[in-house]
Amino acid sequence: MLNTLKLIFPALIPSWRFFSSVAPSPRVEYALSVDALTPPKDWFEFRPRPEHVPFVQMLRRMLWNPQWNETLYLVSCSERLIAAPTQHSAQEIQKRVARDVMRGTPPPSPATMLYFRLVFLDRIGADIIKSIEYESAGIEISKAYPHDT
Amino acid sequence: MTLETAMRLSEVIMSLAFLQQSAEHMMGVRLERMLYGLRILLCLVLLTGAANAWALLALLCLGWITLQQFQGPYNGGSDRMSLLILTCLCAARWAPHPILQETIYAYLGFQLVMSYVMSGWVKLKNPEWRSGEALCDVFRFSAYPVSEALRDWARAPRILTILSWGVILFEVLFPLALFTHLTLYGALVLAAAFHLSNACLFGLNRFFWIWLSAYPAILWLQDRVMYGAEITYAV
Repeated sequence: MLNTLKLIFPALIPSWRFFSSVAPSPRVEYALSVDALTPPKDWFEFRPRPEHVPFVQMLRRMLWNPQWNETLYLVSCSERLIAAPTQHSAQEIQKRVARDVMRGTPPPSPATMLYFRLVFLDRIGADIIKSIEYESAGIEISKAYPHDT
Repeated sequence: MTLETAMRLSEVIMSLAFLQQSAEHMMGVRLERMLYGLRILLCLVLLTGAANAWALLALLCLGWITLQQFQGPYNGGSDRMSLLILTCLCAARWAPHPILQETIYAYLGFQLVMSYVMSGWVKLKNPEWRSGEALCDVFRFSAYPVSEALRDWARAPRILTILSWGVILFEVLFPLALFTHLTLYGALVLAAAFHLSNACLFGLNRFFWIWLSAYPAILWLQDRVMYGAEITYAV
């Protein structure tokens, strides 16, 4: 009940502090390994943004922008995971990364291990600094995103 | 604009905004598809105008469940505004007295004004916003620009400083627009253009549609406060 009130209250009496400051910005990266005994080697950025988005596509996204909105949700989950770690935030990221990886070609074997980490970008002086703030334990990809999800 | 007309306009625009949001969730995981599928049905009921109060109440309950499901808003400020509008419309429809109904809907108009004033005020207080550095950082390394090419905008600090001040001044001075119909319409067109540019550059499409659905509240509130429109009970 208290949790519900804590979630509803900011909507009913909002602070409206959009972009009051530009905080360190998270990126989700993931890695795969063939089994639990093999450590992950190469890390990939999850849904890297395209080099260019044509204006017509920007307008189309006014009506249909599910992937980008989900990516922004993962940004929220990443920030929550650092500010107040919960299983929920980690599972939300894991589940959605696993779904995208399983939809790739060729699809990975169900025993493939999935790892993700959160890299935060911040500006110190004139330099952009990257720091790894969180790294998940490995999970079998078929367990991260079961078929009936 | 009468209270009934304004509230109905808000309901219709909000339903369309919810349909757009919900359609996007049809690409999500199974539980999301179920929750948002139900939301689509309730929005269609609300659009018919057949059982507004009940449809709003059901949508509000569903909104709370969704908030629990994602342990917070899925889409930050746009979901918060969605829930605020929905709560105000629902409470106003169920309010037993016209004065209470007006007060609740006026609160929505007030919060719309605050959404601009407060976000302008927090920027004005921040030296990084005043120098244009904050907007440079938004383009340079934040998660929002929709393409890598947009990051090059960070190399035009003078233009971004002018844009920062344009946004800050527009937001903090927004209440002045309430003095005449013409200035309010002008300010709302500018505000919508601002949301449109945020949608194009940062992919914040949901903000554009949901903020539009609160505009009738401020148009009605201006009529009510500045021109003393008579009290009517919206049924």
